[in-house]
Amino acid sequence: MSHDLKTARNQGLISCHSCHLLSRSAGPDAIMTCPRCGTRLHRRKPNSIKRTWALVVAAFIFYIPANLLPITIVVSLGQAQSDTIMSGVIYFIKSGMWPIALVIFVASVFVPLLKLIILTFLLITVQRKSSWRQKDRTRLYRITEVVGRWSMVDIFVVTILVALVKLGGLASIQAQSGAVYFCAVVVITLFAAMSFDPRLIWDTEESLNE
Amino acid sequence: MSDSKKDLPDLNDVPEAEVRSRKSHISFSIVWLVPLVAVLIGGWLVFKALSEKGPEITITFKSAEGLEAGKTKIRYKDVELGQVTAIKLSEDLSEVVLTAELVKEAENFLSVNTRFWVIRAQVGVSGVSGLGTLFSGAYITLDPGNPGNIARHFKGLEQPPLVTTDLPGRQFLLKADSRGSLDVGSPVYYRKIQAGQVVAYDLAEDGHTILFKIFIDAPYHAFVYQNTRFWNASGFDFQLDTQGVRINTESLISILIGGIAFGIPQAEAPSTPAEAEATFRLFRNIDAAKERTYWVKKKSILYFDESVRGLDIGAPVEFYGIPMGEVIDVKLDFDKEKEEFRIRVVVETEVERFDEAGFVGNDAERQQLFESLLERGFRAQLKTGNLLTGKQIIKLDFFPEAPPAALAMEDGVAVFPTVPTPMEEISTKFMNILEKIDGLPIEQIGNDLRDTVHGAKQIAQSPEILESIRNLNATLEETRLLVSDLRTTVTPQITNVLEEARQSLANAEQMLDADAPLQVKMNSALEEIGGAARSLRLLMDYLERHPESLLRGKGQTE
Repeated sequence: MSHDLKTARNQGLISCHSCHLLSRSAGPDAIMTCPRCGTRLHRRKPNSIKRTWALVVAAFIFYIPANLLPITIVVSLGQAQSDTIMSGVIYFIKSGMWPIALVIFVASVFVPLLKLIILTFLLITVQRKSSWRQKDRTRLYRITEVVGRWSMVDIFVVTILVALVKLGGLASIQAQSGAVYFCAVVVITLFAAMSFDPRLIWDTEESLNE
Repeated sequence: MSDSKKDLPDLNDVPEAEVRSRKSHISFSIVWLVPLVAVLIGGWLVFKALSEKGPEITITFKSAEGLEAGKTKIRYKDVELGQVTAIKLSEDLSEVVLTAELVKEAENFLSVNTRFWVIRAQVGVSGVSGLGTLFSGAYITLDPGNPGNIARHFKGLEQPPLVTTDLPGRQFLLKADSRGSLDVGSPVYYRKIQAGQVVAYDLAEDGHTILFKIFIDAPYHAFVYQNTRFWNASGFDFQLDTQGVRINTESLISILIGGIAFGIPQAEAPSTPAEAEATFRLFRNIDAAKERTYWVKKKSILYFDESVRGLDIGAPVEFYGIPMGEVIDVKLDFDKEKEEFRIRVVVETEVERFDEAGFVGNDAERQQLFESLLERGFRAQLKTGNLLTGKQIIKLDFFPEAPPAALAMEDGVAVFPTVPTPMEEISTKFMNILEKIDGLPIEQIGNDLRDTVHGAKQIAQSPEILESIRNLNATLEETRLLVSDLRTTVTPQITNVLEEARQSLANAEQMLDADAPLQVKMNSALEEIGGAARSLRLLMDYLERHPESLLRGKGQTE
């Protein structure tokens, strides 16, 4: 079955990332540039697995302080209250606004973690050159790419609140260190998803051929 | 691969990729810096959290009113030291147990002497405090106390302590018979300045006295000497005496919540300053404090075989008119040996007064001296202290004729011999009065009186008197005629005179009228005088400024 697949790589062809000109590969180890626009050519994203691993690990590390440290501190009538993401979710559930709680939980806790887990899973399966459910795994990757940016909702909410709620002694909201780590998690995860080359999922048989 | 080439013949037109020379191979990808940085930051956070983690303590309170886990802060001097992390009920449900996490620095001063209490808004007679907590919620504060053994479990105070360790001043103890209207927080005044307050009060161990703990703030604590008197200054002192009505109070607050004042009797000089925790007596009022005070009181029993009507508890025991003590008990007693009723009176005497008089020595000497005094007739006697009310007092005096008596003891209390109130004294006085009445020359007075009356009667009945009365009648008749003459002749003339006088007055009125010529002249004359006076004033002013003009004449104006 694999022999019937006609991929560019199988044909010894290579596409430019910038101008998408198809050119003939000089060899597996050669360093090539596009004959038209001069961009460096890669058959696959270079060091994709390494980079993605590095970013996923970093994101995992930042995920811990992002959830443990408070993201906002609400000073209202002299009483300061700092909130982590989860304490905010719990607050909304307690006050009966569970749809909001659900949105925050999904966007801020569930999705980032899901992305990281999916990426880790993809990395492991690619490294093991697994050919298990390649189509579904590609779909998972697409989900992470689509859904990933929505995690920034939390950061946006915090920044808007901080900017808007400046009522002096009456009430004010300040961002806390947790927001920075959370932002780092989201951004790093976005980069991790970008640096992952989904074609690697399908490279299993071909690499056997090479 | 050859198969695919056949399928896609147009691929031959695809240009060859340009080949570059290989750069030096970098084995280490720069992307690994990202997780490295993440690890460093994470590690730093963990280290920070661990290094800043302070002690976890538990505090028990009666109630967790206004306290909330995760919100209530622990502050000292308004610096946040920690936060309550959990509130639980104790196992027997009698109190609440707070778990709190403090900052690391708190480790250094937490000791068994540290006290915790809750700051809430409080409104009392003496002031309002903690208003800030209305908005921010209650918080817990602490007093580090003196260094001591390390402790992690604390019993919270239900009431804020009035005195914290960082407050300069000194604590003293006051002994009183009753609490009065004093309470925790009642002010202590020194010359009407609030110098401190009552910190606590408690029943003394013997159950007879109240022990007040007061705190005198610096610098007033330096004015507490060993001979300082403390007195209850609650309410106000109302006195009505020969100097009129006097009302005396320390302050309005002390009327409401009571107060204590202290000072030194004017006759005394300040002795050495009192040590902290020194015990003083709290007097009932300022007068009691001003009196010479005697600490040692001795009980004695007196038996009386007569009526003690008018002898109350509290009646004074006097010696040469000086109060030496008071009656503390009066009751009926039965003497089984003699089968007689008698009155048993217990008195308390301030024996120090005898000491002060020079009656000093060791116990044996005193005993001897006392016995010799008894031999000379030293006795107690009932005496009417107030004739109006019939109140009785006990008087100590010497009765040389009194039958000999020895000092007996009854349950360790001395029985002091008494002498009965002599009836003869009263009867003698009565006799004196009767004798004086007896000595009056009543018969003589009666005789004189009768003679006088007789003489008067004789005069009244004499013929001269009758003649005189007849003459008087004639005179009266003449007088009547004269008066009627006067009425007919003199009265019209008087009427004329009055009419003339009225006309003269009308003329005068015309002259004094506002537009009468005299009046106008007078007015202008007065104006003239006014003008003259003004010029005179100007002259005087000028002379005052230029007195030399008197000699040199008015010079040229400068």
